[in-house]
Amino acid sequence: MKSGNPALEAAAPCGKSEPASSAAPAAALDDVSFTYAGGARPALRRLTFEIAPGEMVGVMGASGAGKSTLAKCLNRIVPEFEGGQFAGRVRIGGRELDGARVWQVAPRVGMVFQDFEAQLFSTNVAHEVAFAMEQMGMERAEMARRIRPALEAVGLAGFDHRDPTSLSGGEKQRLAIASVLALRPALVVLDEPTTDLDPEGKAEVFALIRSLRGQGLSLIAIEHEAEVLAGADRLVLLRDGEIIAAGAPRDLMTRIDLLEECGVHPPDLNRVLARLGIAAHAASVDEAEAAIWRAMPRVAVAGDPSEAPRQVRDAGFDDGPPLVEVRGLSFNYPDGPPVLDAIDLRIAPGEFLAIIGQNGSGKTTLAKHLVGLLRPTSGAVMLSGRDRSTLPPAETAAEAGYVFQNPDHQIFAATVADEVAFGPRNFNLHEREIEDRCDEVLRAVGLEEARARDPFLLSKGERQRLAVASVLALRPRLLILDEPTTGLDYREQRRMMALVRQLNRDGIAIVMITHTPWLVAEYARRVVLMRRGRKLYDGDVREFFARTDLLASSSFRAPEATELARRFGTVALSADELADWLKARN
Amino acid sequence: MPIFLYIEHHSFVHRLHPTVKVLALFTMFWSVYWVDHPLALLPLGLLMLAVAQITGAWPNFYRLRWLFILVVLTTTVAWMVFYRRGPALIDLPLIHLSRASLLFGFGRGLKLAELLATSVLFLSTTKVEEFTAGLARLGVPYRVGFAITLSFRLVPLFIDSALTVVQAQRLRGYDFDRGGPLERARRYVPVVIPVFMGALRKANAMAMALEARGFGMSRQPTSFIDYPVRARDLAATFSLCALCALYFYIYYSGYGAISPN
Repeated sequence: MKSGNPALEAAAPCGKSEPASSAAPAAALDDVSFTYAGGARPALRRLTFEIAPGEMVGVMGASGAGKSTLAKCLNRIVPEFEGGQFAGRVRIGGRELDGARVWQVAPRVGMVFQDFEAQLFSTNVAHEVAFAMEQMGMERAEMARRIRPALEAVGLAGFDHRDPTSLSGGEKQRLAIASVLALRPALVVLDEPTTDLDPEGKAEVFALIRSLRGQGLSLIAIEHEAEVLAGADRLVLLRDGEIIAAGAPRDLMTRIDLLEECGVHPPDLNRVLARLGIAAHAASVDEAEAAIWRAMPRVAVAGDPSEAPRQVRDAGFDDGPPLVEVRGLSFNYPDGPPVLDAIDLRIAPGEFLAIIGQNGSGKTTLAKHLVGLLRPTSGAVMLSGRDRSTLPPAETAAEAGYVFQNPDHQIFAATVADEVAFGPRNFNLHEREIEDRCDEVLRAVGLEEARARDPFLLSKGERQRLAVASVLALRPRLLILDEPTTGLDYREQRRMMALVRQLNRDGIAIVMITHTPWLVAEYARRVVLMRRGRKLYDGDVREFFARTDLLASSSFRAPEATELARRFGTVALSADELADWLKARN
Repeated sequence: MPIFLYIEHHSFVHRLHPTVKVLALFTMFWSVYWVDHPLALLPLGLLMLAVAQITGAWPNFYRLRWLFILVVLTTTVAWMVFYRRGPALIDLPLIHLSRASLLFGFGRGLKLAELLATSVLFLSTTKVEEFTAGLARLGVPYRVGFAITLSFRLVPLFIDSALTVVQAQRLRGYDFDRGGPLERARRYVPVVIPVFMGALRKANAMAMALEARGFGMSRQPTSFIDYPVRARDLAATFSLCALCALYFYIYYSGYGAISPN
């Protein structure tokens, strides 16, 4: 298929490679096994996989299932860069890669990584796109010819002279894709390209993937969320280094239990249909609505908002005096514009609050004021009725704990138990008391068996729970979590959020900064929407999702189940809730 | 808040050929190196101030103002302890304050400040790609030049990461300011380990991304940006060579030294 876009036209490999066979698959793995050096078990086990020219394949699976290893085999990062025991054959366009160096494969296989910061090396967008072409020794005129179409393909035309560090996350990731496209590879591999992005950035990248899909490029997209791979030709589900299921999206995405078992977030729409006993795949809200009307023609549409599913308040909620009171809080960096502008906020003991908003809206700045990491330019933050700035660190820590987005920003101790004990030791607690607190919080986060383990050897999900435990050991009444599920697979996300919900039920107030709509819908009871340093909305989560005007203006997308619920005149916060409501009204 | 020093500006210095800018960096280092007397260092300082004005680099100097003050003050005082020559104006058990120790200490402080200022001016006016190109023209292998320039880009990121780690540990009640200097240094272990581990992960991710973009395919990659040599580059090179010669002459003739008396 001809793309129409010169950046995407047939591969023109530079260097020593021979012409590829047009009949050959774009890529093929034949009986490939790989065990990382020092790895206890194989990351890939006798895996056989093919992708046809122009095909898009979605690869799904839990963390550690072998998805990234599979991707890295395609450009020889495995085993050239990541040492280990490799067996099997990998072919790109019919040519075997045996013995090739990573850079030799680069013109034919473009790879986009999750960490967009780590793949940008230049101070100018056009030069960033040119970087790989420079490495190939391409003439300046040819580079100039390829840059514009590559930037146009990713929607960054006109950004040529911008500094990549000034771009948003979504733009940076699109730039990384442009720099790969400029080489005109036959195959592009996207390894969880949207994990670190906000909803707007995710939407940008998914739209781009769809457009590339329509232009005849072979694509492999690795994701945790099945929903975003709905446009793929074929899906592959990995578990423990093996393909356990493969097929068209409509076949695989209806297997809700299997997807969940494999740490993949099943599509909300299919989950609703499955709960209603409808054996169908819905690729869009329209399709799901039609399927429901077909199966349940007598379902009664709600005409009154009071008919919406009722939200049950958890036990820990308390309407008493506020735990946190923010009055007229404004903040700006020296000589900078306002980051926060006259914020008022009250948080009651036992509340579960989500702070949402685009990058740069002031979410994290607000949260950092609550724990005293920043001092207000004007206004005050009161903790339990006392001005936070007058509280000694020990009392602040006992009032409010902060779990950073990246758990690796705090982990340093030799064992899990020492990591947890670090906080209490700083407050000179008695060793017995410290032991008791360690036992208590490690049990709470499910790491009691890991107390003697090296924290650096834990999985990302375990490290995230360890970070929570080490803050909980100070017994705060308010816990602030900055993007607590970033980089976790669906199973780990659910486990993390079950822990957070339990802590909330135990009476700890939760403030969660997140970009993930379903986390807000299913777990939070109150939403604070920030935009340009101001509070745009502060109220009930269900009312928030009923406000389509707010959602549209804040680029925050409701979960698909919530979108579907709207078609039936109600607001549901999860697929299960909507299914129950529909059943009751049929 | 910007974490890189480069400032977009259309000054004469910004438009110089990268090789000339690298040459200017070495020239200033060279000139500062040969002289100790503050009066000999003063013209270089004034030159740097003029360049800062031309290049619009003041915001970077303002950001680093405390570092400059600290460098000059601590160095001046430190040399009063170790440089014990010349008739004493004030002689305390630890401090030997003489005209010579004052001049020597202040000269050393000024010297360090000027080295720092040279680096700030260079990074304020030179993009990392230009630095790589400049080094390559001077015969430094591309891979080495790229690694050097990439490290300049990474340092601010690591500083940013270290600040986050400090915040995370402070929130767990950790007091970095307890004890004497050695104890304080030791107390930074909970910062050093996460930053070091993060740096390793980042370096690994970058190395993978680099190879996946073809880094290593050519020993001398082509350059998308053309850096033509213009008359101003030749004039600047001539001036820099003259400055090198002048300061070597000042050193050679003994004018830049400090007499103990």
